[in-house]
Amino acid sequence: MKILSDMLWIELRKALRSRIPLWTALGSLFMPMGIALLIFAAKNPEISQKLGLISVKANLVAYSATDWATYLGLTAMIIAAGGFFLFVLAVSWVFGREFADGTVKDMLAVPVPRASILLAKFLVVMLWFAALSLLILLISVWMGLLMALPGGSIGVMLQGIALVAITACQVIAVSMPFALIASVGRGYLLPFGVAALTLMIANVVAIAGWGAYFPWAIPGLYAQGKDALPPLSYLIVILTGLAGMAGTYLWWKYADQNR
Amino acid sequence: MNWTIETGDLTKRYGAVTAVDGLSLRVAEGEIYAFLGLNGSGKTTTMRMLLGMTQPTRGSATVLGAHVRLGSREPWSQVGYMVETPHAYPELTVSENLEVARRLHPGTPPQAVGSMIERLGLAEYAQRRAGVLSQGNAQRLGLAKALLHQPKLLLLDEPANGLDPAGIVEIRELLLELTRRQGVTVFMSSHILAEVSRLANRVGIIHQGRLLQEMDIAELEHNRRSRLLVRARDIASAQRVCSSAGYPGEIHGGALELKQTAAIEHPDQIASLLVQAGTPPTQLVVEEEELEQYFLRLVGANGGTQ
Repeated sequence: MKILSDMLWIELRKALRSRIPLWTALGSLFMPMGIALLIFAAKNPEISQKLGLISVKANLVAYSATDWATYLGLTAMIIAAGGFFLFVLAVSWVFGREFADGTVKDMLAVPVPRASILLAKFLVVMLWFAALSLLILLISVWMGLLMALPGGSIGVMLQGIALVAITACQVIAVSMPFALIASVGRGYLLPFGVAALTLMIANVVAIAGWGAYFPWAIPGLYAQGKDALPPLSYLIVILTGLAGMAGTYLWWKYADQNR
Repeated sequence: MNWTIETGDLTKRYGAVTAVDGLSLRVAEGEIYAFLGLNGSGKTTTMRMLLGMTQPTRGSATVLGAHVRLGSREPWSQVGYMVETPHAYPELTVSENLEVARRLHPGTPPQAVGSMIERLGLAEYAQRRAGVLSQGNAQRLGLAKALLHQPKLLLLDEPANGLDPAGIVEIRELLLELTRRQGVTVFMSSHILAEVSRLANRVGIIHQGRLLQEMDIAELEHNRRSRLLVRARDIASAQRVCSSAGYPGEIHGGALELKQTAAIEHPDQIASLLVQAGTPPTQLVVEEEELEQYFLRLVGANGGTQ
């Protein structure tokens, strides 16, 4: 336990001293604020007309977010898509930076179990994801209150918060394989490329009707809440997260570190 | 004999390239063993295999009695290392970087950080971010991390890299003190050959992945070629006299070069010979081959330089 707390101290210190958490926090602020701006623009036709093309999107967003329930659903979708990229950034930084900065060497021939080092990294990543999701939710709620959206009963709010929280947990799980991709790619570029490709494939797979079985399409489908997902979808998400963590562990323990 | 490091037929191949080829060496406890080689000769790959970072294609390595395997944990509490360029977390201060190293070696007391900062002359930079350190100070930080937990074995890749002359002397004295007082074993690679001759007890020369020679430092000194340079007013006449007395030599830059052991060990006899022949020498100098020249001659004779 002492070893794990020491490893957590190391990972938290590195994260808190860097600017990446600030950047991801700023990124997570922009998403709900952007959506709120579009809704605000759509509700104010004189501004909407001045905005030209944006007004088309604004109308679409406003149409889909006429009350708290749909608005919080939209927030969950923000986390499933935009949040996913922020999470990939965080996980790539926590794991890939050790390779990009060459600091991984200092962690390989040490008496601390590799599992403790990696567990601390995963815990920090999860904490980071949770904080970003909470931030997105809080900003969204604040924006919703400013726009005086209707239908904000406690039941609706709790349901919406649960939707956001479960979507965030799913995104956390499907982001875990990116720790392995960042480690194999020894940096940040490969995970970003793979994340972009993955989201494109997820869209195609979802359109084709198989989204419920593709790990990276599942959080988005869940956030939309149109159709109930089969239990297998949740199992796929959990297994994807576990496979990502196990793969990262095996890579750190058994891969040749020859650079 | 207690071998701190022992390798047997240690080999690493990357596809068709053989980085290390059948390396068998032993390093005794308390010894400073210098590993010499050109860039790409296999020094760093050997270090990585000794540290369990790279899996050998063939052969084995034992460090402090423990068989080294990829991802193993056993000997590392007693091993300090610095492989290639030292790296630190640029956003953390010098002190925080050492704190990270301390926590990666459970059992190291918190006060070790402060004392290592003092010992390596980093007090002025303790609260400075590692990202802004000069190369020399980054090197000191790397060494501080390697020494922090008082290891029994130090594996150091080019420990004097980037250090100024004062820093080089300081690190040399520190390593000598560690071996003499605490019996620490040092396995180091270096390209500063003069430094190696001052520091090491034993030297291994690696070229194209193969260990060409292993010798103690006295043997190395002995193997370096020496020559006697003779200057005289009539150098052609001096050459004739020496040649007829069994010391043939060549004239380079106005000086007669004699390579015979008898001439090198007894320049007084050459002086007498020349005086008696009426061509007294104006200068007699015994010159030793530079370590660099010796090294290049050795690797050149074994497949040429890279």
